[in-house]
Amino acid sequence: MELLVLLLIPFLSATLLAVVRPTLAARGIALVSSLATLAVALWLWYRYRGEPVMAVDLDWVPAWGLRFVLGYDGTGLLMVILTAVLFPFIIAAGFKQNLKHPSLVNALLLYAQSFMLGVFTAQNAFLFYIFYELSLLPVFFLLLYWGGERRRAITVRFFIYTLLGGLALLFGIAYCVVQEPTHSADFSALAALHLPLDTQIWLFWALFLAFAIKLPIFPFHSWQPDTYTMAPLQGTMVLGGVMLKMGLYGTLKFVFPIVPEGTAHWREWVIWLSLIGAIYAAVIAFRQRDLKRLVAYSSLSHVGLLTAGLFAWNAYGVSGSLYQAFAHAVLVVSLFYIVGAMKDRVGSSEIAAMGGLKLRTPRLAALFLLVVLNAVALPLTQSFVGEWLMFNGLWQLNGWMAFAAVTTIVLGAIYMFYAYQRVMLGPDKWQLEVHDADGGDHLFLVPLIAVTLVLGLYPAPILDLVNGPVQQMLSTFTVLR
Amino acid sequence: MVSFEQLAHLSWLVPAFPLAGALVNAALRRKLGANGSGALATLLVAASFVVSALLFWSHRPEEHPVEVVTLFDWIHVGGMSIPFAFQIDALSLTMMLIVTGVGMLIHLYSIGYMHDDPRVASFFAMLNLFTFAMLLLVMGANYLITFIGWEGVGLCSYLLIGFWYTNPAYNYAARKAFVMNRIGDVGVVLALALLFHLFGTLDYTAVLGRAGGFGVGNPLIVGATLLLFVGAMGKSAQIPLFTWLPDAMAGPTPVSALIHAATMVTAGIFLVVRSSVLFELAPFTKDVILAIGTATALLAASIGLFQNDIKKVLAYSTVSQLGYMFAALGLGAYSAGMFHVTTHAFFKALLFLGAGSVIHALGGEQDIRKMGGLKGVTKITYITFLIGTLAIAGIFPFSGFFSKDGILANAYAHSPVVYALLLFGALLTAFYMFRLLFLVFHGRYRGDRRPHESPAVITIPLIVLAVLSLGGGLLNLPHVFGGHEPMKHYLATAADGVAGEHLHLEAATEWILMGLSTVLVLLTAWYAYGRFAKRTTLDGEPADMPFLKRLIAEKWRIDELYATLFEKPYGWLSTTLFTFGENKVMTPLMNGVGNVTLRAGKVVRRLQTGNASFYLFAMVAGIIVFLLLTLYGV
Repeated sequence: MELLVLLLIPFLSATLLAVVRPTLAARGIALVSSLATLAVALWLWYRYRGEPVMAVDLDWVPAWGLRFVLGYDGTGLLMVILTAVLFPFIIAAGFKQNLKHPSLVNALLLYAQSFMLGVFTAQNAFLFYIFYELSLLPVFFLLLYWGGERRRAITVRFFIYTLLGGLALLFGIAYCVVQEPTHSADFSALAALHLPLDTQIWLFWALFLAFAIKLPIFPFHSWQPDTYTMAPLQGTMVLGGVMLKMGLYGTLKFVFPIVPEGTAHWREWVIWLSLIGAIYAAVIAFRQRDLKRLVAYSSLSHVGLLTAGLFAWNAYGVSGSLYQAFAHAVLVVSLFYIVGAMKDRVGSSEIAAMGGLKLRTPRLAALFLLVVLNAVALPLTQSFVGEWLMFNGLWQLNGWMAFAAVTTIVLGAIYMFYAYQRVMLGPDKWQLEVHDADGGDHLFLVPLIAVTLVLGLYPAPILDLVNGPVQQMLSTFTVLR
Repeated sequence: MVSFEQLAHLSWLVPAFPLAGALVNAALRRKLGANGSGALATLLVAASFVVSALLFWSHRPEEHPVEVVTLFDWIHVGGMSIPFAFQIDALSLTMMLIVTGVGMLIHLYSIGYMHDDPRVASFFAMLNLFTFAMLLLVMGANYLITFIGWEGVGLCSYLLIGFWYTNPAYNYAARKAFVMNRIGDVGVVLALALLFHLFGTLDYTAVLGRAGGFGVGNPLIVGATLLLFVGAMGKSAQIPLFTWLPDAMAGPTPVSALIHAATMVTAGIFLVVRSSVLFELAPFTKDVILAIGTATALLAASIGLFQNDIKKVLAYSTVSQLGYMFAALGLGAYSAGMFHVTTHAFFKALLFLGAGSVIHALGGEQDIRKMGGLKGVTKITYITFLIGTLAIAGIFPFSGFFSKDGILANAYAHSPVVYALLLFGALLTAFYMFRLLFLVFHGRYRGDRRPHESPAVITIPLIVLAVLSLGGGLLNLPHVFGGHEPMKHYLATAADGVAGEHLHLEAATEWILMGLSTVLVLLTAWYAYGRFAKRTTLDGEPADMPFLKRLIAEKWRIDELYATLFEKPYGWLSTTLFTFGENKVMTPLMNGVGNVTLRAGKVVRRLQTGNASFYLFAMVAGIIVFLLLTLYGV
């Protein structure tokens, strides 16, 4: 029941905003709605006892195996918490943005939240797919109508990519449902399918392509930097903070259980592609001239590592990847917020327009630096725990993979500290009259940094959440060992 | 009387004090005032020193060599359990005393040195944070806690090198230090993952206790030790990862003394000694360490010969002395290496603080060509600097004599060639140090400012460190002088590598070796006196020098080599991957795939109108069509 409430709070708030359009109160209503969702999510976490929970179970279109089944285990709950924690921040980021039609912007954001929560709680493949595609729509409109330069061309490219992946996924699901004796699309039923190896080998790509694009991993990434750069700040936060985790979660829920042998067949390919992407994007980020695009490439690099860790398919790799999913979400939202804060002050996200700003904005510089420490995964930040686990997961598989993954700690330090220097350090080049971090900036960044440090020092709450489901999944698919 | 075990359970106070200082100084940086923040920072490090000293005094290594104190489970996943725990034993206590003791003196000194800096509270916050991280590094009970400190000191080093952040050259130096350290850290992370893979734990007691199960020369252990050593190369500035340390002199001088001479840069030596059991199983790694240590000792000493920046001379001297310490480790003489770490902490901190006092006296001047004749004006600085020079040059009875002699004796027992190389390095050391001493304090003053002696808050640390540099040799007095090598026996209770050390030299041989090095060092000093003590004309810029001298004075052009080999190609790669790889290959390729798909659907023209509702319709229609086809058509 709480789960339905969880989905309905953002959905109904969004509908209210879209219908009534209370321009002035829109942001406040959205913020209250997202905080209420957060409260429900934390309540679910508090009540969670380590056993999978099935909350709602209704027939919808039985002929297609489509049923309205909601539930969660530790991994789904982690994604729900991640979404619920980040959305108040994403909404709050809008308070300084002054986009036109705040009612519509916030309605779209809340619809996106509702559908993504649906993705993370759906226990039926068709239902998952419907939420998955629905969550795209609000973001699509957000990009198309509130985006920056070249928004049409870029949005269309983004849309085509995602559409391609989505169609492949739909085909894959449909194929599986047809194979399933009772034509059930429930995850539990599909996981019990034992498809022949030949089928699994091609079906893997039908199912994984959508997620590979959504994440994205190399070489399916070329929509990402442009889209992140062009999107309005909040859109970028939704895409980078939450939406790409649907790719990670989908892989975990769909690809691994349904085509375990297909996964085993392609696993090393995917890991190498991901690692190549992680290094490739980190190298490119170094000389980027636009701060927002630089952060986009850094996210691409981190996502490569996440995917590689996930496909290591052992306790350290998968737990590390999931842990890092949370860390990355917090990181991306913080970094993009800083990009926005700099853009507000200097009028552009071009790095050449910045430099020496620490003299004028020492507090903002300190906050930026603390975020950078998480970005370079310094020990006692959240990211270190995730990366350390993923490095171990990859090492268990292959020392060279671990080596390739670990090189990113050098490349990450190179581009992050260079970016920090170009923005904040050096002489006061432009003599701009800019104000230091204000109360709003602190309210936004300090809690996120605190989350980073607390979970870096004491990661147990999150690790315990995913540990059980991951162990259980691993024991089911011994084929991948 | 509190027992050792009871006290050990309070050992978390040792890192907690400086951490608290860092937080308070950062939070109240505008309210404390220069003296307030300095006093707070210094007192908290002093408190850590007191707790460390109490631990040391209550420690009975024969009865109770090791106490592990677990605070909580840090990372616990599947079969991995990494506690947040401290290990109190002879090795960590030795390092704790050095870090907090020398650290306390340098904090005190900084109150005077940094007094007029507008960001003095930030400075003390960072210095305290560094102390915290360094203490985690040496106190950790497993490799991963040590690694927290290991990266933490790297961060503080970055922050403090770039402390005066409006200068782009300093910012570059700071980044260079961090990135080079991170290159080393790739080795450490991989070593840790490998050790975890092999042992299923990273606790020192468990890993080192079970390592004996692997035979001598086991390739996995050799690999792990080589990877650990890569990390040590970065942190302790060994070839090829040493070029960041001289540039690190961009930071305030107390930072150079504490971080880039006395403590952080010895972390690599600490790590090897801590893992000595593993290194004893890897003779190949020890040979590599010996070769790299010796080469670094000589290369850095040669560069030190012609430097004209007082801090650069000391920086290359530090790199060179670290080379000596690694040479000792490569020889299996772990206690000799740790002994040199200790005495070097005393005399190199003294020399850097003395240099700082000179720089302070001259209002910021660092070029020794513009110094000279300062011994009359800055008496205390001169006398203490002289003691430091005698100690580093290895003249009896100063501490450096004993620690360097220990390394040389071990080298002789191993191979006369290594001995000859290291002895030659010692003579280079004596030469550049006496050159520095004479050019700064003797002759006639060549600058145009009004030198003055520094205040007591600066000279008192100098005096204390001078006493330690003089008497530090007693800590490990060798048998030929009637001592019992107390430090070696103490460390043997913590590191099995030390317990396994054996040096068999006739007493007569030892006397001859010591006599030889003493005579040669004195001759070198005398030669330096003749050349520099009364000199009025000095070397110009490297461009005017003969080829070889110029090459050495330009640091063998290694920075330029790295720039050509790595930095520039990397920048080119970054730009090219973006302009060509992304914009000319990846994007068009994927656009092509998209367009082909669209044409196949024959909706390309309408889609390009950008009508959003049509896309949605297309998508939903597509979903339905596929559903129907797959369900009923197949």
